Amino acid sequence: MLLLQNARIASENSPVLVESDVLIIEGIIQEIGTSLAIPEGARVIDARGRVLMPGMFDAHVHFRAPGFENKETITTGSEAAINGGITGVVMMPNTRPALDSATAIATVLENAKHRARIPVYTSGCVTKNREGEELAEIEGMHRLGVIMLTDDGDTTADPAVLLRAMQYATEFGMFFASHCEVPELAGPRALNEGVMSYRLGIKGSPACAEEIIIDRDIRLARAAGAHVHIQHVSSKMGMETIRWWKSRGDVKVTAEVAPHHLLFTDEHIGDYDTNYKMNPPLRTQADCDALLEGLKEGVFDLIATDHAPHTPFEKAQDFISAPNGITGLDTALVSLHHFFVEPGKFGWDLVVKRYSAEPRRLMGLPVAAIEVGQEANCVLFDTEAETTFTKEFMKSKSQNTPFIDQTLQGRVDMVILGTEILLER
Amino acid sequence: MARKDLLDIASLHREEIEFLLDQSTSFKKLFTRSVKKIPALEGKSVLMLFYEASTRTHSSFEVAAKRLSAEVTNFDVAHSSITKGESVRETIETLQAMRTDYIVVRHGHPGLPAMIARQTTASVINAGDGAHEHPTQALLDAFTIKEKFPDPRGKKVLIIGDILHSRVARSTSTLLQKLGVEVAYLGPGSLVPKYGPATIPRFTDYEAAMAWAPDVVYLLRVQMERQDVQFFPNVREYHRVYGITTARLAEIRDKGLYIMHPGPVNRGVELCDAVMDYERSLITNQVENGISIRMAVLDWLTPGGDFPKQEAYAARQQAGSSLLMP
Repeated sequence: MLLLQNARIASENSPVLVESDVLIIEGIIQEIGTSLAIPEGARVIDARGRVLMPGMFDAHVHFRAPGFENKETITTGSEAAINGGITGVVMMPNTRPALDSATAIATVLENAKHRARIPVYTSGCVTKNREGEELAEIEGMHRLGVIMLTDDGDTTADPAVLLRAMQYATEFGMFFASHCEVPELAGPRALNEGVMSYRLGIKGSPACAEEIIIDRDIRLARAAGAHVHIQHVSSKMGMETIRWWKSRGDVKVTAEVAPHHLLFTDEHIGDYDTNYKMNPPLRTQADCDALLEGLKEGVFDLIATDHAPHTPFEKAQDFISAPNGITGLDTALVSLHHFFVEPGKFGWDLVVKRYSAEPRRLMGLPVAAIEVGQEANCVLFDTEAETTFTKEFMKSKSQNTPFIDQTLQGRVDMVILGTEILLER
Repeated sequence: MARKDLLDIASLHREEIEFLLDQSTSFKKLFTRSVKKIPALEGKSVLMLFYEASTRTHSSFEVAAKRLSAEVTNFDVAHSSITKGESVRETIETLQAMRTDYIVVRHGHPGLPAMIARQTTASVINAGDGAHEHPTQALLDAFTIKEKFPDPRGKKVLIIGDILHSRVARSTSTLLQKLGVEVAYLGPGSLVPKYGPATIPRFTDYEAAMAWAPDVVYLLRVQMERQDVQFFPNVREYHRVYGITTARLAEIRDKGLYIMHPGPVNRGVELCDAVMDYERSLITNQVENGISIRMAVLDWLTPGGDFPKQEAYAARQQAGSSLLMP
């Protein structure tokens, strides 16, 4: 039994934080109100000044298992999520072996059941081994609960293959998540083509490499009557392409944006800092501004981190040799608070809607909310405290993040899921 | 003014550039003497770490180091553990244990010399990192131009060719601008990036570029090896549209323009054979000046056991300024 007193409750429906007591009994929110009586035996937490919000849900993470457990495991990845106030995740299928069959999916889900303290879901591949040629074992994966298909990181190059997959899998109620990139235009180096790529002497990836596939995949989805979800959009024109398609209303399209694409530009790469090497690459301030606008407008349905751990040894190489990707689970919520909520660029309602409610809706899951009768699935957040992202603080196995050793305002104080207190600071 | 490394032109101060050019003048005077060696780096070791093929730069550094009495070791990349999959970082750890004083490095990956510099106490000299920088080439180019124009301010240098892939274009144009020289680019639209420095005019038409009235025409080597896709239809067309043809050489001679090229020359592509005999071609001067410039650089840098540049690196990274064009 847990009584949180005077918490400021955030919801997706209102920018106003409502101060209330919240009583949780046996993992269920029993009562919300002012000056609730303290039941006998209840643990009382003074939450005055702190924000109580539903647990976040990240629909785009790489837990690297099986195959790359030196970078991350389901255990370390889910602990990083809890550390950042996230109570559910969806894994990408670019493991080794790739998650392209019922057998592979079953193994991951079984591991997740035993090795994670939060629900870990997974997406499945569109094609076998993500090679873009033969369709993966779509129905077999669906039987195990997979509803999102993606060849993550590798755009399904042949539009005919993707169209057939969409026609086939839509019949099972599945949808497609697209990493949008024309590889022949993008090249392997994950740096925006522009002033910075010229200065650094690295072949850049133009934004049109992303825009072309965004448009292509939405057109394919329209032709197939499928639902396509556009992953980690990085460019202004990419956002505008999605906005235009959404305004037509004749195709089901959703989209996500990652915190790092809202926050950083290619200028941050400076002296070849590999912590800023990611794919799609960081672009310009004009792109960041447009993505923020798109998020506030609802062009982006959700925020997702694309949590991509790599070992320090791999990232300590030169910029060309280092792999793409940064971690995000430990840092996402605090960074969203520090850079956006605190300066008044958007409110907690947007965070709850885009990083908790909509991702769960996308995955067909019940939405978490601080409401009577709901299972307790919540995060207590101190907006006045600070978090320093030291190596010791991080729970991810890798620390490839630009935030390493930085101090930001805000702290995840407590994470509650059902009858368990997963984290308490 | 002491520095541990020479990694780029962008971070060099004007005083440092002037100092190196002056020192190069002094070292060049040695070349006419029967004994060309001085003991400036006696007892010091120079490691040549060339991951990419090179004739001019490699031999130029080697001659320069030997004229300063340093011991030179050539790291044989082809027979090293690199062929067994050893990473550059592991190689550097090995080399650091050997306590060499100077490392001259060429690699296809931009930024790699800077990474090595952060991990060793040796002075690191960037002898070309991908399409990023080639600082000693820029210094020798500036030195060569100053020999013809002692006060180069206001002079105009037209750089022709593959700007996109050229570390020479980046370094030399940056340095020349620091000396008050005007620079313009000319080349195919696919090889002259639109997002280069705003201070450099970009031409894709030869006649328009010549109307800009350059004093020096600097031809870049067409780097077929860096072009993973086709940037122009064929070399015959390139020569006709952007090269110094026999007819264009006559015009250049009439105007008294100087011609430069970093070598090696693709004859019949960037220029016709006759250019090699043109009295105002500075191509061999560039090669000769490369030695005195590299002597000046080796003599100037200060290897250190306590990573004296670490703070400066941190500051530069913080400011994000080291790579900014002037």
